[in-house]
Amino acid sequence: MSQMSLGRAFNLAMREEMTRDEKVICIGEDIGVKGGCWFTFSGLYGLFGDKRVLEMPMTESAYTYFGVGTALMGYRPIVEFMFADFATLGFEGIVDMAAKIRYNSGGKNSCPITFVMPQGGGGKNGCHHSQSVESWFANVPGVKIVAPTAPADIRAYYRASIQDDDPVVFIFHRALLGVQGEVPDAIEEVPALKNAGKLVKEGKDLTIVGYHRPLLFAQAAAAEVETETGKSIEIIDPRVLCPFDKELLFTSVRKTGRLFVTHEAPERGGFSAQIVSWVAENCQSDLKAAPVRVCGKNSIIPFGDAEDFVYPSKEEIKAGILKALA
Amino acid sequence: MRFSNEELLDMYDDIVLARVLGEKIVEYIFSGKIAGSIHPCLGQEAVSAGLIAAFKKSGIKNYGTGTHRSQTVMAYRVGLKNFIGELLCRTGGENGGISGEYHLTNVEKTMIPATGALGGTWGLLAGVAWALKAGGKTREIAFAPYGDGAVSQGSTYEAMNIAALYQLPILFFIENNGIAMSTPVNKQSPLENLADRASAFNMQGVTVDGNDPIAVAEAVLEGMELAANFVPNVVEAKTVRWEGHYVGDDQSLYRDVSFRKHLDDIDPVLHFTEKLKGMGLLDEETVVRVLAEKTALVESTFDEQLQFGLPTREQALDYNRIYSNEAGGEL
Repeated sequence: MSQMSLGRAFNLAMREEMTRDEKVICIGEDIGVKGGCWFTFSGLYGLFGDKRVLEMPMTESAYTYFGVGTALMGYRPIVEFMFADFATLGFEGIVDMAAKIRYNSGGKNSCPITFVMPQGGGGKNGCHHSQSVESWFANVPGVKIVAPTAPADIRAYYRASIQDDDPVVFIFHRALLGVQGEVPDAIEEVPALKNAGKLVKEGKDLTIVGYHRPLLFAQAAAAEVETETGKSIEIIDPRVLCPFDKELLFTSVRKTGRLFVTHEAPERGGFSAQIVSWVAENCQSDLKAAPVRVCGKNSIIPFGDAEDFVYPSKEEIKAGILKALA
Repeated sequence: MRFSNEELLDMYDDIVLARVLGEKIVEYIFSGKIAGSIHPCLGQEAVSAGLIAAFKKSGIKNYGTGTHRSQTVMAYRVGLKNFIGELLCRTGGENGGISGEYHLTNVEKTMIPATGALGGTWGLLAGVAWALKAGGKTREIAFAPYGDGAVSQGSTYEAMNIAALYQLPILFFIENNGIAMSTPVNKQSPLENLADRASAFNMQGVTVDGNDPIAVAEAVLEGMELAANFVPNVVEAKTVRWEGHYVGDDQSLYRDVSFRKHLDDIDPVLHFTEKLKGMGLLDEETVVRVLAEKTALVESTFDEQLQFGLPTREQALDYNRIYSNEAGGEL
């Protein structure tokens, strides 16, 4: 075990995969000598050269498609969007091409491609550089959505995403790039994307589901609530949103009878709505109270410090937890 | 002339096949045997025949998408039976009648899927071309066809830029039929020749008569050879769309259709027939025979494929066709 930042863990995963499989290539802007906008690609260009690290002009639309083309021909491309928001320009290549390759080939071809989406707030960068995109893709059959939070999970599930034969939208939270965590020295076997939910903490009175920055807030808030109320709270980090680990979710809610969900994406149409729906449909008789969600406001993200009004704060999350327990 | 007499007669076979296929598609749509909207190739057969001739002669393997009006070229890639089966959405089709003709995908057969919105696949094929080059393939290229409509999309130029920067083995091909749905080409571009846009990327761009299959084939052969030598380039073939955008589209609402009174003047099949007759390669007996053969081939293939059923609910909703591995087991 060693302490490592999320950014380092991400970079390590890519080094491991590029070393393991020469078909793994990187495609994106400024990922060459600079090492990417977030330095997450640092050192790769020097190690693997311009045949493996493909620097692109500002052409998200074409280079998304370009990545899919290489995947069709046997490569395992990693396609980075500098900000997840920029996936708007690559949307067609992901949604209409990558996601449908296997279906439209009758299962003869697959499309092993990983779209890297650094998302979320904290940078105070405004409405084109701070959005959360998981729900944009959750309504698209054919893609998988992986969204780990802890550095060790970033490394393991990024590797799993690269090794997966289907298109994966891999999302991490930009504000957590420097967050440190324990990371194992070696991975024996990459995890499956199926049943990937992690029981962060066991409890019996409430189930919390969250990911990225709100998950960290929820952990801190839950500790305070437990101290103040004597309740015990269970916390689940799904790590993978599609395919979602429903069994872990249902088992937990059947035990606690209460559900609280949090994420940064706007509440309306957010992935939390899907989680609550699944619970309503499958655990109705177990629920002791209505589920509670604390998500991003259904607002445009303002530039500067005012962005804090949009994202769920620790205080709002704590209030939501107390409401769910009431 | 780079084509032998045998090759010219083969080209004749293909141009007649394209005509018959186009007419049968129209007939079958009106009789309710084909679902969805199909875009007929009538009037543009010389382009398909020229492309197929160049593909056969070049000795260069190419991977490519279809366009809305390149049914004969797609059939060349996946086989006529498999193509028509897919056109009819029958289980005997290349993809079990699931994808339809236009989204057909089979990399092994060089069939790369096209997109509905049009204008994304030049980037896709640039990626294919990069992979061919990176894999050390020498006589393999990507063939990237668009119509005059798709070529206006922004990512078209992103893709040309990337192809030029990475010196990719790719031939960009524009089948300019003068009209994108209802928008004539002079409302789409200030340029006389769309191939001139290649100059922005220091690329060669050539425009040829798309109603002459030999001119198309010769230009495409040269373009393929350049591409195989890692010189991306553009070939434009100018032709005329005879029908509406899709079968059933009343184009008289937006287009002066008086040209249809004089279709013989621009009929690529008729003109090619006359040319080969003038060269002493064709006589009337052969003309009648080839038409009868191609008609019988297309009709019997339609009949054969109509014997297959439509995809079942289970086949259409087969989770394993969407994801490559166990992904939760539900749709």
